[in-house]
Amino acid sequence: MNPISKTLVLLLAGGVGSRLNLLVQSRAKPAVPFGGLYRIIDFSLSNVMNSGLTQVGVMTQYKPLSLMNHLGNGAAWDLAGRSRGVKVLPPRTGASDSDWYKGTADAVRQNIDFIKAHPSQEILILSGDHIYHMDFDQMIQAHRQKKADVTIGMMVVPMEEIHQFGAGITDADGRIVEWEEKPKVARTDLASMGIYVFDTKYLLALLAEDREEVDFGMHLIPKAIARDNVYAFRFNGYWRDVGTVQAYWQANMDILSEDSGISPEAWGIRPNVEASARMADRCPARFAATAQVKNSMISAGCVIHGEVVNSVLSPGVVVHKGAVVRDSVLIDDCVVGEGALVDLAIMDKRVRVGRNAVVGSGDRQTVNQEFPTHLYTGITLIGKAAQVPDGAVIGRNCIVAPSRLAHDFPSLHIPSGATV
Amino acid sequence: MKKKPTTLAMVLAGGRVDELNVLTYYRPKSAVPFGGFARVIDFPLSNLMNSGLEQVAILSQFRSFSLINHIGSGAAWDMIGRYRGISVLPPSTGHASSNWYRGSADSVYQNIDFIRYHDPDCVLILSGDHIYHMNYQEIIDYHKAKDADLTIACLAVPKEKAHRFGVASIDDEDGELGGRVLQYKEKPTSPKFTWASMTIFCFKPEALLATLTDNAREDTSFEFGKDIIPRMLADQRRVYGYKFHGYWGYTRTIEEYWQTSMDLLGPNPPIDLEAWGLRTNLEHRDIRDYQPLKIGPRATVADSLVYNGCVVEGTVERSILFPGVHVKPGAVVRDSVLFFNNTVESGARLSKVISDVNTSFGADSAIGGQGAVGEHEATVLGWNNQIPAGSIIGSDCTIYPHLRPEKFGREIKNGEIIR
Repeated sequence: MNPISKTLVLLLAGGVGSRLNLLVQSRAKPAVPFGGLYRIIDFSLSNVMNSGLTQVGVMTQYKPLSLMNHLGNGAAWDLAGRSRGVKVLPPRTGASDSDWYKGTADAVRQNIDFIKAHPSQEILILSGDHIYHMDFDQMIQAHRQKKADVTIGMMVVPMEEIHQFGAGITDADGRIVEWEEKPKVARTDLASMGIYVFDTKYLLALLAEDREEVDFGMHLIPKAIARDNVYAFRFNGYWRDVGTVQAYWQANMDILSEDSGISPEAWGIRPNVEASARMADRCPARFAATAQVKNSMISAGCVIHGEVVNSVLSPGVVVHKGAVVRDSVLIDDCVVGEGALVDLAIMDKRVRVGRNAVVGSGDRQTVNQEFPTHLYTGITLIGKAAQVPDGAVIGRNCIVAPSRLAHDFPSLHIPSGATV
Repeated sequence: MKKKPTTLAMVLAGGRVDELNVLTYYRPKSAVPFGGFARVIDFPLSNLMNSGLEQVAILSQFRSFSLINHIGSGAAWDMIGRYRGISVLPPSTGHASSNWYRGSADSVYQNIDFIRYHDPDCVLILSGDHIYHMNYQEIIDYHKAKDADLTIACLAVPKEKAHRFGVASIDDEDGELGGRVLQYKEKPTSPKFTWASMTIFCFKPEALLATLTDNAREDTSFEFGKDIIPRMLADQRRVYGYKFHGYWGYTRTIEEYWQTSMDLLGPNPPIDLEAWGLRTNLEHRDIRDYQPLKIGPRATVADSLVYNGCVVEGTVERSILFPGVHVKPGAVVRDSVLFFNNTVESGARLSKVISDVNTSFGADSAIGGQGAVGEHEATVLGWNNQIPAGSIIGSDCTIYPHLRPEKFGREIKNGEIIR
């Protein structure tokens, strides 16, 4: 008999991820393209598939269209079939529930009917925001072994970063005895990954206690730790919250380096190639006699005449003769014109860089004036379908908003830190 | 308003062609990989899809598994739906027909029930073996305009090559478009005309069924070119030639396969997969699951096609790499076609090599001819071979599939066949 999983998965995919700036202007963070062929949520969904889990509810809120399209019927992650399924759970109005999701726990609470309709022994709660590879089955087994009410996926982080996380202090048995949400003073290096296994009955009872408790990390988890059996499940390995432009760029670059520990193919990460109308029928990448490519990821459908170094190219990117792309992430169907230079940039879909234009020029110190906390390391961000005019020179830490055309540019010289 | 399809397409995919020997050892020719990610049969299937013809039968006999696997549900070519479908028709036993297919025409004859069931206006019969881009709607329109019993797509070939084809003489009834077929000869020793049949036939169903039935009753040979076309001409049926002016790549020999593959490369390649709208089944061999191509810090990739799932750390020039090929640092691959999951170890040098799936080339091995590519023929390797480190294999060699390592214990000279 094929054992049907007793664990129901709830994937929180409502996050805005606003620090990703333009990349989340028309899509939720989990739907942001990553690593050439993937979207961020593919990592969570593939982990779910590879862990043998078969029933998934995806809670969406912010700009869910791109995400819903990407999920399709779930077949890409083997979630289509008699005992399998992936359902999108947007907020809805109803007799008693008629609100937007007010927090992670509130999102789950508003979908109690979904939980009851899919009887389970445990509920695995994940976020769709992270780049990692994890076997949830091991975590579920550990949860059962400890007879825990809640098990939290936790990893060791540098002490100076613990202030970004929920931090837990455990006893010798792995039971969490103390919890601090985003502590200012580090007392432990064990950080929550936002991955929870709940005993289903326990979760339903906990959610019923107080409707004002809308967040797992802030409300429910500290309460459970104080009162009940909450265990830590330790994770060792690559895990990134690619929530900032810098972290997003760095994680893409990590795929290029041998020893970073990230490898989508070895991890069994599956994209949904059918979701994008064009991805499925891309031809092999074409390299002209003049092509020079070093240390890069190149997807099917790319055409390379020029030079590409330390970059990640999604399907359909064209780099014309004499053009140079360096240290950059180019999403689907970008075109870099003859003689152009793209240096340290992230370009969303269908960006066109005109002939002899330069994207990323000058010093890296001038931060973006409008979003100094988003762009400060030199990366320039170009929005979907923007067209950089021939001969234009764009500085560093710049933003070009989506669909900007030549006449939207105040001049051919955009200084570092400016926004078009 | 879109209604039931009026054209039934039947793809002849059963043939094993001996000249492609080791590449067709375990698969029919139509399932031979081509173009860095696809199979030969993807060309007619994509043409059908792009022509809006989506009721298709595949006639398959030789080693069908690879082909059946490749076709899958047909969804890759949009051939799944209420009036859209793809059926693989292998030989079957039964009341009336219980034979292996005895020839291309026999494979259609044995499926007469299938044709009657679909009740089309037009039966389009295609070979699954060629590399070309064609809107079949145009030949169908011509066929119908001429009220023809049979219309054959023809291509002008040089006289010295005409002996390899079925050739027709076509009158000038419609100039560049086509005309009446006056004579037809299958592979003549001294050809007098040069319009070669592309094995693309538009039949009026009643003419097809009548001729197939007569042929089955009176003859012992069952080929469209050799038997059916001459029989229809002899019966004074309306046989027309539709003149095709585009690229037609054939892959009957290893050298032709290599040349047709090279037609994918260069600044203006005659085969433009992107413009042709080629589609393949990404579920076959799970090629959809590969990550993007990874190019190492000291790699060179020039004038080549490389699909997702490859890792190139060495040098690749004028070559085509299918998913999962790994070229390690210091290895050099030139003028070659490497099928899925080949591994080329450090220091290995490949020159004009065609290598079937799961073959590995040991460190510092030297495979293929030296000097200009025009001066020697390709060396071809069957699948699942492990070439030991330091091996030397010359040009124009044939290495059979899955050989034991001791077969490579010595230098293999130009033209040798190792089995």
